[in-house]
Amino acid sequence: MNAITLIARDELRLMRRNRVTVIAFALLTLLTLAAALISWSHQSGIAETRARFQAQAAQEFTAQPDRHPHRMVHFGNFIFRPLPLLAAFDPGVDAFTGNSMFLEGHRQNSANFGDVRQSSLLVRFGQLTPAFVLQVIAPLLLVFLGYGAVARERERGTLRQMLVQGVSARALLLGKLLALAIVAALVGLPALAAFLLIAGQPGALAGPMAVMVLGYGAYLALWSIIVILVSALVRRGRDALLALLALWTVLVILLPRVAPDIAAQTHMLPTRLETDIAIQQDLHRLGDAHNPDDPFFTAFRQKVLRHYGVDRIEDLPVNYNGLLAVEGEKLTSRLFDDYAKRSFTVQQAQSRLTDDFGIISPAIALRRLSMAAAGTDLEGHRRFLAQAEAYRYAMVQQLNQLQADTVRYADDKAKDAGADQRKRISADHWQTIPQFRFKPATTGDLVEASLPGLGLLLAWLAFALLALLPVARILQKARA
Amino acid sequence: MTLLTHELRLLLRSRMALLALLLVALLAAASVAAGMAEVARQRDVIARIQPKQAQDMAAVAQWAAETKDPGTAAYYSFHATWDTPSPLAFAALGLRDVAPYILRVRALGLEAQLYDGEAFNPELALPGRFDFSFVLVYLTPLFVIALFHDLVSGEREAGRLRMLDALTGSGRSLWRRRVLLRGGLLFLALAAPLTIGAIQSAVPLPTLLSVQGLVALYLAFWIGVTLLVGRMRWSSVANAATLAGIWLVLTLILPTIAHVAINRLIPVGEGVELTLAQREAVNRAWDIPRADTMRAFYAGHPEWKDSPPLTDAFHYKWYFAFHQVGDESVAPKVAAYRNGIEARDTAARGIGWLLPSVGVQAALTRLANTDMAAQLAYQDRIRAFHEKLRNFYYRYLFTDTPFEKDDFDRAPTFVGGA
Repeated sequence: MNAITLIARDELRLMRRNRVTVIAFALLTLLTLAAALISWSHQSGIAETRARFQAQAAQEFTAQPDRHPHRMVHFGNFIFRPLPLLAAFDPGVDAFTGNSMFLEGHRQNSANFGDVRQSSLLVRFGQLTPAFVLQVIAPLLLVFLGYGAVARERERGTLRQMLVQGVSARALLLGKLLALAIVAALVGLPALAAFLLIAGQPGALAGPMAVMVLGYGAYLALWSIIVILVSALVRRGRDALLALLALWTVLVILLPRVAPDIAAQTHMLPTRLETDIAIQQDLHRLGDAHNPDDPFFTAFRQKVLRHYGVDRIEDLPVNYNGLLAVEGEKLTSRLFDDYAKRSFTVQQAQSRLTDDFGIISPAIALRRLSMAAAGTDLEGHRRFLAQAEAYRYAMVQQLNQLQADTVRYADDKAKDAGADQRKRISADHWQTIPQFRFKPATTGDLVEASLPGLGLLLAWLAFALLALLPVARILQKARA
Repeated sequence: MTLLTHELRLLLRSRMALLALLLVALLAAASVAAGMAEVARQRDVIARIQPKQAQDMAAVAQWAAETKDPGTAAYYSFHATWDTPSPLAFAALGLRDVAPYILRVRALGLEAQLYDGEAFNPELALPGRFDFSFVLVYLTPLFVIALFHDLVSGEREAGRLRMLDALTGSGRSLWRRRVLLRGGLLFLALAAPLTIGAIQSAVPLPTLLSVQGLVALYLAFWIGVTLLVGRMRWSSVANAATLAGIWLVLTLILPTIAHVAINRLIPVGEGVELTLAQREAVNRAWDIPRADTMRAFYAGHPEWKDSPPLTDAFHYKWYFAFHQVGDESVAPKVAAYRNGIEARDTAARGIGWLLPSVGVQAALTRLANTDMAAQLAYQDRIRAFHEKLRNFYYRYLFTDTPFEKDDFDRAPTFVGGA
C-alpha cells in the first residue's frame, strides 16, 4: 500500500470518528434526498396541472359553436409550457417565467402566471432542489470537513514529522485530496441516485444527463482541491476555515448576484409598452388599414383583382376580407418576429455577460451547464415562445383562410338581421385546427448548449490540479 | 473613553478585523449604489415612456376622431399606468425586477390585461438582485461570525483569558466594551452607506430610522447567537463551524423548505382558471341574444339603462358591455386568486417571526414598498383607473355622444403614486 492511500485512509478514519462530521454528512444526505423528493413531487404536480389546463383549453376550443372564423381568431387558444423531465433536478428559470400564454390574432401576449408573481417572498431565497444542494451547500460541507486536513497536521507539528520521515508533500496532499474526493463522491451519491431515478423515466435524454454528471462531478472535485489547497497554504486551521468560508461566500453567493446586476445595467431591455408602440408605428408606416386610399392596401387590392381577373372585389370567388386578414397577419407577425428577435438578442447578451463571470466563479459555470443541459434556461423559454408564436401564426392564418374560402363577402358586409347567422361557419372546422404540441429540445441541442459551462469547469479543474504542484513544493520547504 | 480607544486600536491592529469591516462597508456601499442605479433606471424608463405614450395616443386620435365613434376611440386607445419606485426602493428591490412597473390597459375586459408581464430576462432574476437587503440578510451574519466567533475563545487560545479575568475592574465590562465596539463598527459600516443613499433618495426620516433599527436588531440577533455559541467554551474553529452551520440552516435551507410547504398548502390555480373562464364568458356573448347581455349589464349599472335600445347594426356599447359582464362573472375567482396570494404572503410573514432572515427581508421590502402587498396595491390602482376609463367612455357610448378630437385629451390620466 503506498503513502497516498495510507494517508487517505487515515484521514477518512479520523472523519468517521468525528461525530460532528458524521452528523453533518448524514444531514446533507437527508437534505439531498428530501430535496430530490420534494422537487420531484413539486415538478410532477406542476406538469400535471399544466397538462390538465392544456386539455381543458383544447376541449374549450373545439367545443365552440358555429361562428364567424374571425371570432375564433379572437377566442384564441391557451397553451402551457410543459416541463422537461430534468426540471425535477434543476428547474432553472421555470418559476421566473410565465408558463401559460394566450394566443390570438394580431396581438402577441406575454407568458403569464409565473410562480414568482404568485408566491411569497420566500421564492427569492432559492428553491430546494438537488441542483441547489449540490451547487450551494455541498461545497460548504466539503469546506467544513476538509479545512483542517493539512492545517491541522501543521498546527500539531505532525506535518514536519511526516516530512522528516520521508513522506513527500505531494503524496501528503494527494492522500488528503483522495480522502476528501471520496467524501465528495459520497455527497454526490444521493443526488446521483435521484438522477438515475429520473433517467428511468421514458423520454429521458442520456446525452445531457451524462454532461450533468460530468459537470457536477468536476465541480465537487474542484471544491475538494480548493479546500486542500487553502488548508495547505494557510498557517492555522481557523484561518483556513475563515478563508474558505470567505471564498465560498464570494464564489457561490456573492458573484452569482453581482453578475446579473452588471448585465442588466450593461444591456438594457426595452419595455413591452415601447415595443408595442414601435410595432404600431411600423405597421402604420407599412400600410394604414383605416385609410381607404392607403397605397399599400390599394396595391394589394389591385394585385388580388388582377390575380382573379375581375374588376370589383364583389366579383371575387373568395372573400376579400379574409385575404385582407391573411395579409394583415403576415405584416404584424413579421414585425413580432423582428422585435422578439431584438429582445432576445439583448437578453442573450445579458446572459452571456453573466456566463463570462464563470471564469471567476465555478458556481456560475456549473449553473449555466446545469440549466442548459436540463433545458430550463433562457433558451428553453425562448424555444417555447418561438414555437408558441409559430403555432399562433399557423392557427390564425388557418382561420383567416377559412374566412376567405367559406364566408361569402356579401354576407361579411351585410348588416341585416339575419346576416349574423349567414356569417357563421360550422363548428366542425375547429376540429381541423391542430393542437399545440411542444417540441422539446434534442439531445444535440442540449449537449451543445451545456458545453461552454463544462469547458469552463474543466479548465478550472485543470488549473486547480496544476496548482497542487507549486503548493506541494512550498509545503515540502516547511520541513526546514 | 481611553479604554475604548485602546480597544479600538487593538481591534484595528488585527488585520482580519480591519479587513472584515472594510469589506462590509465596501459591500454595503456597492449594494446601495447598485440599487440606486436600478431605481434610477426604472425612473428613467417611466419618464421615457410618457412622450412615446402621448405620441401613440395622438396617432390613434388622428384617424379615430374622424369616425367620431366613442367605441372606436375606446377600443384603440391604450392608456399607460406605472408604479413609481418609492424612495427606499433602492435598498430592497423586492419584486420590482419580475413584476411589471408599467402596464397599458384599455377599457376592454380588465381580467385579460391585468396579469400581463413585462419582458425581462429570467436568468438575471433567478439568483436575485444585489441590493442592500441581500448584503444585510445574507452577508452580514457571516461577518458577525468572522468578528465575534473568537471573542472569548481567541483569548483563551492565546493564553490571555485567565489574566484578563483576573484583572481588577475588567471582567464583564471588558467583554461588554468589546462587543459594543465590534457591533458598533459593524453597524456603522452598514448604516453609513445606507444613510447616505437614503438621504440622496429623499427617504423620509421615520422610514430611515426604521431601517436603521432593523439593521441594529438583525445585528443584535446574530451577535447574540455568536455569544451564546461562544459560551459553550469550544475552540474558535468549532465556534466558527457551528455558527456557519446555523447561518446555512437559517438563511438558505429553512426558507426554501418553508417556500415549498407554503406553496403546497396554499394552491393558487385560480389565476389560469379565471382567465380561461373570463374568455369563455366574454366570447359567449356572440352566441346569446344581445338583449341578455344588455340586461345583465344594466342590472349592475342602472345608470346607463335609459340608453337607446340596440338595433340590428353593431354597436360598441354592446361590445364593451359584454366585456364588463365577462369581468364581473369571474369576480369570485378573482377574489379567490388574490386571497390565495395574500394567504401565501401572510404565511411567509408569519415564518418571518421564526426566521430572522425572512423577517428582515419581509420588513425591508414592506418599508421599501416593493413586496407582494405593493404589487397588489399597484393592481388595485390599475383597477381603479380602469374603472374611470370605462365610465369616461361609457358617458359617450351609452348616450351616443360623438367623440371629438378634443375628447381624446379629456380621457382620464393615470396618477402614478410614489
